[in-house]
Formats: sequence, C-alpha cells, structure tokens
Amino acid sequence: MPQRFEVMVGNKAVAHMVRLARARFISAFPITPQTTIVQYIADMVANGEIDAEYVTTEGELTAQASAFTAGAAGVRAFTATAGPGLLYMHHPMIATRNNRVPVVMALMHRGIKGMDPDHSDMMAQRETGWMMLECESGQEILDTGLMAYKVAEDERVRLPCIFAGDGYILSYTDEPIDIPDEAKVDAFLPPYKTTIPLLPNQGAESRAFQMRQWSIGRDPQANFADDQQAMINAKKVIKEVNAEFKKLFGRSYGNGLVEEYKTRDVDAVIVAAGTIASTARVAVDRLQAEGKKVGLVKLKAFKPFPAEEFQRIGPKVKTMGIIDRNISIGSGGWTFGEIRNAMYDVEERPQTLQFHAGLNGKEVRVQDIMKIGEKTLKAASGAKVSPLVEWV
Amino acid sequence: MSKPVPLVKLDEKEYIQPANQSCQGCTGASVARIVAKVLKDKMVRQEVACCGPAFGNLEQPSIYGEVFEGAGAMSTGLSRAFKRMEREDAIVTTIVGDGGTTDIGFQGLSGAAERNENVLWICYDNEAYMNTGGQRSSTTTKYAETTTTPVGEFSRGKKERRKNVAAMVALHRVPYMATASIAYPEDFIGKLEYAKNIKGFRFIQISAPCPTGWRFEPQYAVKIGKEMVLSGMWPLYEVIDGEKFRITYKPKELKPVKDVLKMQGRFRHITEDEIKEIQDDVASYWARLVAKDGKEFF
Repeated sequence: MPQRFEVMVGNKAVAHMVRLARARFISAFPITPQTTIVQYIADMVANGEIDAEYVTTEGELTAQASAFTAGAAGVRAFTATAGPGLLYMHHPMIATRNNRVPVVMALMHRGIKGMDPDHSDMMAQRETGWMMLECESGQEILDTGLMAYKVAEDERVRLPCIFAGDGYILSYTDEPIDIPDEAKVDAFLPPYKTTIPLLPNQGAESRAFQMRQWSIGRDPQANFADDQQAMINAKKVIKEVNAEFKKLFGRSYGNGLVEEYKTRDVDAVIVAAGTIASTARVAVDRLQAEGKKVGLVKLKAFKPFPAEEFQRIGPKVKTMGIIDRNISIGSGGWTFGEIRNAMYDVEERPQTLQFHAGLNGKEVRVQDIMKIGEKTLKAASGAKVSPLVEWV
Repeated sequence: MSKPVPLVKLDEKEYIQPANQSCQGCTGASVARIVAKVLKDKMVRQEVACCGPAFGNLEQPSIYGEVFEGAGAMSTGLSRAFKRMEREDAIVTTIVGDGGTTDIGFQGLSGAAERNENVLWICYDNEAYMNTGGQRSSTTTKYAETTTTPVGEFSRGKKERRKNVAAMVALHRVPYMATASIAYPEDFIGKLEYAKNIKGFRFIQISAPCPTGWRFEPQYAVKIGKEMVLSGMWPLYEVIDGEKFRITYKPKELKPVKDVLKMQGRFRHITEDEIKEIQDDVASYWARLVAKDGKEFF
C-alpha cells in the first residue's frame, strides 16, 4: 500500500486530516498558535485538494455556531481554534452538544494567562459535553482527528469532539508524518449523515425533535441522562475505533483512552498527557535504566474520563504521581481530581501525588519529570513525602 | 424592486400551530404568520432566544440554538450546508427581534451580510427586549420608558436615539434590504415575494408595535403601526444591492409625531420640548430620504 511520508508541522497535519476526512463545511477564525491551520486549509481549498464550503468567519463564536448548524443540516463540519478563541466558542459549544451534532474541532492549546500552551483553555470547557482527546505528536494529531470523526458520528455516541495538541510544541514543530491513503480513509470513515430533520417538508419530524429538545412530554432531566449515556458509550467506541485504526493503518494509541508505557512490575506510575507524556517517556527510560521501578500512564481521553482504566491500573501500584498542565483554581488539577474520584470505588487504592507542570508554557524538562518519578517512588516505598501538591 | 401584493393573494393555509404563546395583540406573531404563508414549504428556520420561538410556532422545520448572539452564524451554517447538499430550494430564514439583530447579534449580522450568505433575515422590531420584560434596546425610540430606562427624578427615559441598523445593513451592499410595517401587509408581502426569489443576504426590518412593552391596549397595535408610518417615524423603503434606493410608501404630508407618541404609555411623561426634538429629528431624516428617493443610496 503506497504511503506518503512528509516532514510537516502539526498544523499542516491537521489540514491533511480535514482533507482526508472530506469535511464539507469548514469555518475558522485565525488565532495563534492555530493560525496556520486556517492558512493551510485555505491553500488546499484554493488548489482544489479540499472541496468544501470554507467560511472565514468574523470571530470564533460564528465559526463554532455555523459548524453546529451545518452539521445539523447534513454536512461533515470542522473548525479549529486555540486558547481565548476556545473560550469565545463556549456558548455555541453547549448548543452543539445539546443538539448532539458531531462537529470535530482541532485545538492547539494556548494558555489563558499568556500565549504559551497549557490545558486551561480546554479545562474551561469541561462541562460542555464535548469529547476531548489529547495528542502527543503531529502524527497522533492527524490520526486522532480521523478517529474523532468516526467516534463522534457513531450512532451510540453522536457527540462533538475536540482533538488537542500543545500549541507551538506541536503546531509549529516539524516531524515526519505518514499521510494515510485516501481510499483507506474513505473505507474507514463513511460519508456523513445527519440525524436532525431540517429539510423542507420535514416540519413534523422537526417539531418532534424540537419537543424532545425542550423536554416537552418527557422528564426534564432526560436529555442530560441521554448525553451522559452517550459519553459512557463513547469509552467503548473509542477503544473499538482505535483498534480498527490499527488494523487499517498500523498505528494505535494505547487502547484509545490511555496508554501504559513500561508499567510491568513497577511500584509507581507517572500520569501525564500531551507533549509532557513524550518527555515523561524519556524520564521513565532513564529511571528504569537506573533500576527504579516507575512507569508511565499516558492519558489520551480527558472526556470521557477513563475511570475504569485507572481502577484497573491503580491497584497494581503503590503511588501515582499525577501531572496536570492545568488547575481549577480553588480545587486542583483536572486529572488528579478525576483519578481520585475513580479510586474511591477501589479497595486497594494507591496514594496520589499532585504535580502542576507546564502551565503558562513553563518548560517541562526530562530532569523535572525524573524528580517527579523519584518523589513518587519514594512515597511508594512508604516514606513520607511533602508537599503532596507541588508546583514543578 | 418589490411590488405590493394584495392580502387576498396570500396562502389561505395556516402554518402557525395551536397553543401560540404570544401576548394579546402581538404583531410579531402576525409577522411570523405572514412570512410562513409567503415562504410556504420552502422555509427552513433558524431560531434564537427572543419572543420568536413563543409567537412563531410554525409548521416549517426549524432548529433552535440557545445562542442568542448566533443568528448570523447559525443561518450561515444552514445555508452553506444546503448549498453543499444541492438543496438550495430551502430558504434559510431567521426571524429575530431587535436585540438579536441590532445588539447582541450585531457582529454575526454584519459578518453574514458581508459574506453575502444566502439567508433571509426578518427582524421584527418591537424596540426593546420584550421577551425578558421590556428592557431598552438600541432601537428603542428616545425618551421611551422601558424597564431599564425608567422615568424618575433623574431620568427622562431612554437617553439615546435609535440605531439605524437598516442603513448599516444596506451599506454592506447586500442584494436586498427593506423596512416594513405590520400595518402595511401588502407592502411587506411584496417585499417578501421579491426577497424570496433572489439569492444572497436579504434583510427586512419590520416595525412590530408591542402592546405589552409600549403600553397600549392590544386592539391599537395596527393603528399605532400605521401612525408611525404616516408620521414618518417609521419610513418604508428598500435598497437593492446597496445602491438603488426607493421609498415604497410616501404619505403626501407627514402627520405630527405627537399623536402617535401620545397613544403609547411609554411616552406618557414626554414634554412638548421632547416631542419637538423627536419631531425635528424625524422631519430631517425624512427630508433626506425623500431627496434620495429613486436615486443612489450612497
């Protein structure tokens, strides 16, 4: 099977994903570090590689809201943003979820206190009901975008999805990317169909849909319960799609939700997401070379949160050192809170340590993660460590 | 250019559904009823928060997004999708109040107009945020009392003049921009018929007097609408391609604005000086429109 390798930045990989997915409605507003996605797509539309309605909107809110209704009407929709742009999209993101329209969005993380990357932007959208998948490389960005469409459009799910990567570190960094074959992608991702009746003469069906949306004649909480069930279903569907992707394209990302790296016979694990996970792989290699029994769990799915995976991994180790490139001011890290929540149902639960790293783009070095690993391992040996929450 | 259509030519079928939630005398409901009868089964609606979802429960398909500011965006998505699906027989229509058009929705309106999206935007202008209880909007007439511009020792009602959104939309050089009044349905239907048969961004801002918010008895809604046109407070005109300007109904002589102001509770506090200020403003704007009638808009 001929496959094409090309050296390109993460943002260009996103544009290729959009081309391969045959998105037919694309709307975006430029914002650093997402900007060149908009430009690469414009080039591809201009030279005929992408055949789509490409709307250069007057702002991010319009970009997201127009993708919502285009998807509702019946075409595969795509948008992309970063940091403050994502905050501006918050309002229509909820309408997109409420109407269960499987829009897919690329997010190049940008912090909300400066231009450098962290996960604050996505954390601020935790409650929108979008699926959120984190990527570690340009290749993973391309592949995850394609999988995102497949998962989002699955009838058991029908939820919108963000696939994200750390801005600059991925958006503007070159790496060799394997661009999947078009015909294979077509086989993997069938043409889009909407579930929302909106065509002329579909008035009766449309009214029934609207009544449901307004909870008329049904339990006012039922729509929430439906959406929650869809998100629970997504855990299974993500795993299936990840496995199918491996069969067709030879690549997969853990089980689609998490990836365990060198976790056999370890006493402790580091939990990390995104590009910090890449750095953590090197740190784990070095620690294990020194005979230190620390592994890595890479978190890929922030939403749906893979609680069951952590309930399975948790009892196998004594301590988890959890790195969050985010903080909910007043409570703590996203992953830390979710993992501890999951551990409540586990009898032999590990100790958890919290590390905040990489916020506002602060560099996270291999030696930083080695220190995190050593501290986590020390706690696993039974020694007292402090502080339990550390700013790296 | 549009031609008035006699009311008897209007579709007899009713598209408005039972259990209409509008207030008594709601002219917004009449706007929705007429629009539905003109567009018939070609109409696909996009709705945002406003009185519209309450008074406009129509038979035609519709999608509601709880994004008040999003009418421009959401109608863009629909029209582009239908283009891509080769379903341009669908007329993407949004019926939005003055808030969703001229205030919170203004950015999206301008964006959609500038991109010349294939959308028919009907703004029913009742001059305040009526769905939330009558707070001022940028189209509220000066000195009107609203729930956020109450009259008191230190307040004379709304401080500012109306924002002229009709002219601003026309300046985007869209294929069609018109004002209309619910008191002149033949003129309105003619404009809808014209708009229905062309593509691109079409905008009709229709005066819809609101008994609840303007404080008058429901049976006077149409009368007040008519008096607004006859006094020049609400001129009826259209602009084609941002260029060709035409007044579609020209009263021989304007009635004084005082009469129509005095019919509304929201102006009960108004003084002779304040009436004169409004009168002068109306007269000068009308004179400018008359000078341009049949000529270039800008």
